[in-house]
Amino acid sequence: MPKGKISFKLSNRLSELETLNKKIDKFSVQAGIPNKCIFEINLVLEELFSNITCYGYRDDKDHWIHVSMSCENDVMTIQIEDDGIPFNPLDLEKPHLFCDLEDRDIGGLGIHLVKHYIKECVYERRGNKNILILKKTIGSDLSDPK
Amino acid sequence: MEILEQKQNDICIFKINGRLDSNTSHELEEKIFEAIKKESNQMIIDFEGLDYISSAGLRVILKASKALKRSEGSIVLCSMQDYVKEVFEIAGFDIFLPITMKMNDALEMF
Repeated sequence: MPKGKISFKLSNRLSELETLNKKIDKFSVQAGIPNKCIFEINLVLEELFSNITCYGYRDDKDHWIHVSMSCENDVMTIQIEDDGIPFNPLDLEKPHLFCDLEDRDIGGLGIHLVKHYIKECVYERRGNKNILILKKTIGSDLSDPK
Repeated sequence: MEILEQKQNDICIFKINGRLDSNTSHELEEKIFEAIKKESNQMIIDFEGLDYISSAGLRVILKASKALKRSEGSIVLCSMQDYVKEVFEIAGFDIFLPITMKMNDALEMF
């Protein structure tokens, strides 16, 4: 049964995606998470991390984004915390102003993917922090039920 | 990520190895649009060596597909791994983009 815990922080820069991917892979392999699930978690976290990085801040400063992952009883819980503007990355209705024109046609594509792979996503604003908690059932080769 | 480019008859074939994500997808975009500038309008993307794609990758493919449509060309995608194909299906891209199992099937579409 997959089990384990990890916490780490990333700067609010897209270049950190490589680190994010490595951390997820290392943790997932150690915790015994099936490959399909690892793929899905990488995808979901990339989408959310990118959205926070692109839309979550109004200044040019460096910020930390805190990620923790834990696995127990076939459920993986992922928490993403940032200190940006009040912003729920699941809530993107309108494309951001400085997205490419082309992107406007498929604004929300990333979130559509997140919502497909993660059935339980809760957003909370606590003080000056945005907190997103995701729960995903992981089994031997099961996807979340539709 | 690595992109290998070759031409067969008039068809531009891009073979992608590795990951297509927010950091790497611009490379694919550059290569595709370079080819379009040189008036290529028949393309195949071979996904056999691709083990991950995110919405950034999907966006590049959509952009390419629209540009090729404008020039009356076309693009076919082939040889996707299961998890990658599923992403295209969830995004609904399989509705307007031809996806084949094998390269031979893709070549036959031109």
